Amino acid sequence: MVGPGREERAWIRRAQAGSASDLEALFREHWPRAHRAAYLVVHDGAAAEDIAQEAFLAAVRNLDRFDRRRPFAPWLHRIVVNRAIDWARARTLRRETGEVERGEEEFDTGDLGNAFSEGLAAGLASLSPEHRAVIVLRYLLEYTPGEIADLLEVPRGTVNSRLRRGLDRLEPILDRERTHE
Amino acid sequence: MSDGEIRRALQRIHAPDELEAQRRAWPLVRAAFDAREPIAWPRRQARPLAAAAVAVALLAAALTPPGRALVGGVRDAFTSEKVKARPALTSLPASGLLLVNSPRGPWIVQRDGSKRLLGAYEEGSWSPHALHVAVTRGHELAALDPKGVVRWSLARSGAVHAARWSPGPGDRIAYLNGRALRIVAGDGTGDAPLRRPVAQTPPAWRPGASHELAFSTAEGRIELVQTDSAQTIWRTGSGEVPKQLVWSEDGQRLLVLADRWLHVLDSQGSRLGTIGLPIGPSGIAFVRRSHRFVLVRYVPATGRSDLVLLRAEPEHGEPRFLYSAPGDFGTLAISPNGNWLLVGWINADQWLFLRLTAAEVKAVSNIAEQFGTPRPVGQPLSSAFPGSVSWCCPVSP
Repeated sequence: MVGPGREERAWIRRAQAGSASDLEALFREHWPRAHRAAYLVVHDGAAAEDIAQEAFLAAVRNLDRFDRRRPFAPWLHRIVVNRAIDWARARTLRRETGEVERGEEEFDTGDLGNAFSEGLAAGLASLSPEHRAVIVLRYLLEYTPGEIADLLEVPRGTVNSRLRRGLDRLEPILDRERTHE
Repeated sequence: MSDGEIRRALQRIHAPDELEAQRRAWPLVRAAFDAREPIAWPRRQARPLAAAAVAVALLAAALTPPGRALVGGVRDAFTSEKVKARPALTSLPASGLLLVNSPRGPWIVQRDGSKRLLGAYEEGSWSPHALHVAVTRGHELAALDPKGVVRWSLARSGAVHAARWSPGPGDRIAYLNGRALRIVAGDGTGDAPLRRPVAQTPPAWRPGASHELAFSTAEGRIELVQTDSAQTIWRTGSGEVPKQLVWSEDGQRLLVLADRWLHVLDSQGSRLGTIGLPIGPSGIAFVRRSHRFVLVRYVPATGRSDLVLLRAEPEHGEPRFLYSAPGDFGTLAISPNGNWLLVGWINADQWLFLRLTAAEVKAVSNIAEQFGTPRPVGQPLSSAFPGSVSWCCPVSP
């Protein structure tokens, strides 16, 4: 990830000074990827919306403490992805205790665009939340493994091994989808 | 499979309803922005300023009468986890009786900590002078004395819940029966429907008024009705169904709490303000003899719950921070003298008693077990923790 652009720093500075329009610019810039990242980790449309909202609400409440020399996205994505992992783990636990209602486990496919993306989404759903998170951080949000390690507060080796295992499990699914395309 | 292929495929995936979700989120983010607490000084100055604030606030507390001199803002989050909890509730820090609704049933707790289970009822609520408790279970509404003796009961065909005794002489009880709101006299006679369909939000009698009751319709409209004439006094527009309605003691302010927002209404039903709330547990309680109220505000980024103090006025002011702890806060109850706030701290299985007129916290642990509901294996503590508490009875203003 590159550092924040001049425009983003200006949005943050003016939002810290009370400008709602600059906050809105920041929101519009970052909402789609935050929402999509949450969705790819939790695979539940409503939960993803909640998680992205929570992340923005947390960001707004702490806006005055934010160091505008630093990029906004990693700060936001740290909240999004960690909350999404927590939610997905809790859901797994509920499934084990039989609390997940019928229909709740079905993967909400949304608008996936094409078979390759559908295959990838389905493959992601078969991974653990932690593996999904590193795939999403690496390939959707385009963080380096070192940055992912910082965001998730895990060793870099753990990130690399999760990436490798995740991709190993996705590969046959994607190969199959690619053959059919 | 190249990195580029995976990247492009992931970037083509859209979450369901993506644009609408963004449209829904912005008003909440904007509301939180409007309600935020800007920090106007450099962090390095925060500690001396906080110390000065402590001194000023404590001085104010010493010089002004209880209930008006809240100095909760002096407390900080770091002291909250150092409180040593007593293992059992052996006394209350202020006079009055607690009515505790636990999964096992309603309990009455005396000042000395002794307690009595009223029976296997789902919920109870005080009569105005704590002479009776209105309880519900299944299809039944009953009035009990504090020893649990049934004075009268009635049964209806639909599920009965959320019984609320009117203030003042206490001669009316409002309750929900299925999707209907009904009224019965305090002696169990004259049971009659008032409105239908209504939401499942417990109704709230307006203090200081003659039999005026606020409730939510099924469409989320808040309506104030004169229950003797059944005339609507005012009604708001439709919206999300709230989960709690709370009047100030003087009946001039009504807080309407929903999952994502809190509306502040005046006595005419006009909205004075709205506060956006994050996802997570929330709760409200008015400070006695005041338009100030305590709000439980969950902070998703930290996983903590904060207690903040706000004013139910057109300008609700900067939230004053009272207390913070990891996890969820549940019930809130203010002591009859207005000096103490009881807070259910679910994750710690504790009740916290916060003194609002000085920086003092008392904690009692093992709450779920003390109210007869050991934590089920594999179940969250919230399933065993008492759901609500009311502290009776404040002297009428």
